[in-house]
Amino acid sequence: MHEYRETDEVDFAIVGTGAGGGTLAALLAEQGFSVVAFDAGGYFRPLEDFASDETEQNKLYWTDKRVVDGPNPIQMGGKNSGKSVGGSTVHYAMVSLRFRPEWFTSRSSLGYGADWPISWQEMWHYYGVAEKQINVSGPLTYPWGPKRPRYPYRAHELNTAARLLARGCEAIGIGWTETPLATLSAPHAGPEGKSPPCVYRGFCRFGCSTNAKRSALTVWIPRALAAGAEIRDLAMVGRIETGPNGRATGVHFHREDAWHFQRARNVVVAGYAIETPRLLLNSASDRFPDGLANSSGLVGKNLMTQSNQAVWGRMDEEVRWYKAPPSLAITEHWNYDDNKDFFGGYCWMGQGPLPNEWASIQTGSRGLWGRALRDAMLDYNHMIGVKMVGEMLPDETNRVMLADDLDQYGLRVAKITYRWGENDKALIAHALQQMGRSIEAIGAKDMFRQENDTNHLGGTARMGSDRRLSVVDSDCRSWDIRNLWVCDGSVFPTVGGVNPALTIQTIAIRTADRIKHLAAAGEL
Amino acid sequence: MSDRSRYPGYDVLAKRETPSWDEPTRRAIDKRLHVSTAAHFLTAAEWAVADALCRRILPQDEAGETVPLAALLDAKLFADHGDGFREADMPYMREAWRAGLAALDAEAKDRHDGRSFAVISIDDQDSLIAMMQKGMLSAAHWPGLDPKKFFERRVLVDVPALYYGHPKAWSEIGFGGPASPRGYVRLEGERRDPWEAVEAVSGHEDAARQLNQRVV
Amino acid sequence: MIVNAARRLNRAAGMIAGSVLIDSAMEHHRGYFHNKLMWTPIATSSLSIAASFHGHTDRRHGAHRVRDVIYALAGVAGIVGTAFHLYNVTKKVGGWSWQNLFYSAPIGAPAAMSLCGLMGFLAERVRDNEPGTKPTIAGVNAGRVVAALAGASLLGTTAEAGLLHFRGAFHNPAMALPVTMPPIAAGLLAVAAVGRAGVPRPASRNWLAATAAMGVAGVAFHAYGVSRGMGGWRNWRQNAFAGPPLPAPPAFTGLALAGLAALSLLAAYPDE
Repeated sequence: MHEYRETDEVDFAIVGTGAGGGTLAALLAEQGFSVVAFDAGGYFRPLEDFASDETEQNKLYWTDKRVVDGPNPIQMGGKNSGKSVGGSTVHYAMVSLRFRPEWFTSRSSLGYGADWPISWQEMWHYYGVAEKQINVSGPLTYPWGPKRPRYPYRAHELNTAARLLARGCEAIGIGWTETPLATLSAPHAGPEGKSPPCVYRGFCRFGCSTNAKRSALTVWIPRALAAGAEIRDLAMVGRIETGPNGRATGVHFHREDAWHFQRARNVVVAGYAIETPRLLLNSASDRFPDGLANSSGLVGKNLMTQSNQAVWGRMDEEVRWYKAPPSLAITEHWNYDDNKDFFGGYCWMGQGPLPNEWASIQTGSRGLWGRALRDAMLDYNHMIGVKMVGEMLPDETNRVMLADDLDQYGLRVAKITYRWGENDKALIAHALQQMGRSIEAIGAKDMFRQENDTNHLGGTARMGSDRRLSVVDSDCRSWDIRNLWVCDGSVFPTVGGVNPALTIQTIAIRTADRIKHLAAAGEL
Repeated sequence: MSDRSRYPGYDVLAKRETPSWDEPTRRAIDKRLHVSTAAHFLTAAEWAVADALCRRILPQDEAGETVPLAALLDAKLFADHGDGFREADMPYMREAWRAGLAALDAEAKDRHDGRSFAVISIDDQDSLIAMMQKGMLSAAHWPGLDPKKFFERRVLVDVPALYYGHPKAWSEIGFGGPASPRGYVRLEGERRDPWEAVEAVSGHEDAARQLNQRVV
Repeated sequence: MIVNAARRLNRAAGMIAGSVLIDSAMEHHRGYFHNKLMWTPIATSSLSIAASFHGHTDRRHGAHRVRDVIYALAGVAGIVGTAFHLYNVTKKVGGWSWQNLFYSAPIGAPAAMSLCGLMGFLAERVRDNEPGTKPTIAGVNAGRVVAALAGASLLGTTAEAGLLHFRGAFHNPAMALPVTMPPIAAGLLAVAAVGRAGVPRPASRNWLAATAAMGVAGVAFHAYGVSRGMGGWRNWRQNAFAGPPLPAPPAFTGLALAGLAALSLLAAYPDE
């Protein structure tokens, strides 16, 4: 791997190597820029480092100190935060969905949230590029939204859990589909080597040791390395430095027990919706007392998560949901049906929790412990569940700030304050009712709800067309500091009712294209 | 195995040398199976309370191997392998456990003539735990820590994972266990791969046991 | 000439039967023979192998009644199997969908049993001609009949291979071979079936020989495909069953051999 010296002024220092940072690192390096991509986490080699074990694989998650607060504190860790090269894509469930086109103009078309400064047509083009690059395996026809090109690989075989979701949807008269998943349904040979197809082991959210999963770790990072980028792992960036002209000059990072400084012409922050605002705030200086890129005051604000409630039940037949990726089937009906008395949409998908996760649902949702817990767990192979991904609306009081606690690097940790709004609660109530109807209709018994769960994040470095109302412009370039960029889910003005990973990678691909144009026009 | 076993004779560990397990998995599970039974984080008094608490949260009265929950909890706290975040009105994991164990013990002593939580009867232990769960314990013994939150956010998050992260529990619930490089061929629930567990049909446990003993 | 052509068709039927025996055994084992009727193709393909070997050693003229019965059973078994597999597809959620076509019991597989029966049937019909006469089947030039039916059979087999290679997204360029070579072979056989008899057709012969070789090469390609699965051959209990079916490609070989027998018949007996 090419290694840069700290005194080299590299073209791009990218903080974070996940869906945003990893993608951008690859594409910028392929364009010929010099790139150092930092990650606080380690660079795992799945075949040597990943065990088939939930507990051992907790090493993939961000478990550094954080404080959560508010009436509805968000549970962090494996629900939404990764710490390793590849970021949260190492542990995500590979669900690769496009935004509904109208969501890019939520405010003007649908009356809520904020408009994106990018048109849906432009995003539609880049979605196709992203799906091709990460070899999404998906159905030949997708029931919702405008036409999209054929997915590069065919959809996976449905397991029983998925078939039950499908039957449940049919029973209540709504559509369903095979989920487009970023994991291979057939062998793949690419510049980064050969990958086998999925072996349906079901440990997707604990790291794929098959290398069938198309994460940043298996797709973008190898491309970045092949194009001459440096991946600097176990390197926590603690502060972005700015110079007398107010431009970013590089990053301070902690590695091998000491602080170092890497010079860079451009700095891209791609730490996802908690670490990105944290870094910008921790980089406050005399010139920028409120943190970098924060003249709008919006850095850290408008944090959004997605509601992740579920309904669970027991079937007479064996389900054995541990086989195969957890979410092989999905319904997006309520993302496209506007006969609702609340804003926003949601989808729901099948589930396949492994034992620890299932135990935590039994204790968290039903308060079970003791003999009752052990007895309930014996039904493991008969359980079925459907879980939503629901849109939550932006609210400035939902935010990331700095707590006084210090982490192991001596940096102030993030304090994450959240409350569900009335619209969020109405959406959740609707979804719980609909999900319950669907599995009840196919004979699920002893049903119970998981009422307090959220997952993906976004919003804390909002993208917009007005510098007073946003942190970055449509090119992901901050208004205040023209060589400081944000490229991750933080830029989402609205979070939508689908998993965000595909959209984050799509934005990164577009940003790389925009940087190419800006560079050619001498506007970098 | 107890008579009520749903998957008699099934042992995930029997697949250790098959393609269902790989080297990183063997390393990780071996480490867990050989966890030290000496305390590295908890004091002797804390260990006694933790041990008693774990035995109520995940009772293991049946014959056969016991998952050493207190030892696993001690190891986890020593390594500080938690989820990392704390709610604003709670301490981080290690401090929360120390404070919670001390508070629970203080509650027991207060209500049971100075006897530690570790030595009162099982019924009394369960009763205290239930009160903790329902938020009925007084704040007097819980400075800086809400008993209900300690129970929900620490006890129920950390302890069941110690049990259900152990191969014994996987065998008990018929989980396929480690699966790399070999995953699954038959994705239907009603059709198992030969290396998966067979569920006993009531009255036909022996048939299931015979098949489960050949799982490989 | 007549007997030799018939023996060639017996061998073709035997080749297909061998493919069906191993393929159905593996796939029905995967399904645990949960329906007792799943033993049927094991029985009929085994019998067909025996009958075909018997026919290969038999140098007499005249149809053999027992072989005829066995081949007829094979033909019927294939039709019944197809009905079962179709039912299997339609009863699953989604019914007639790409998901169920890809992943349910393959609807084209039982047809191979019927094609074995068909080739065997043709073997006996060819043999049932007096020595020194121009062989016919139901009054039609035997070479034309065999060519037409072998060609149609190749197309059907291509459809099945094409479906599964489409499922595999044609991830390897070699996967295009069974959807291009056999249709061309079928086209050449169609031309021969309706064209002039008694003319040599070297290009068609070569192409059919190449198609036969393709069927054998298919086994090697599928073995490579199995090795491409995670854990390779060491994980054979997963990869041999979830990966490309090793015994399937030789069905093309059997049909191509039947096609070559047809070309020989056509060349040996010119039109008046």
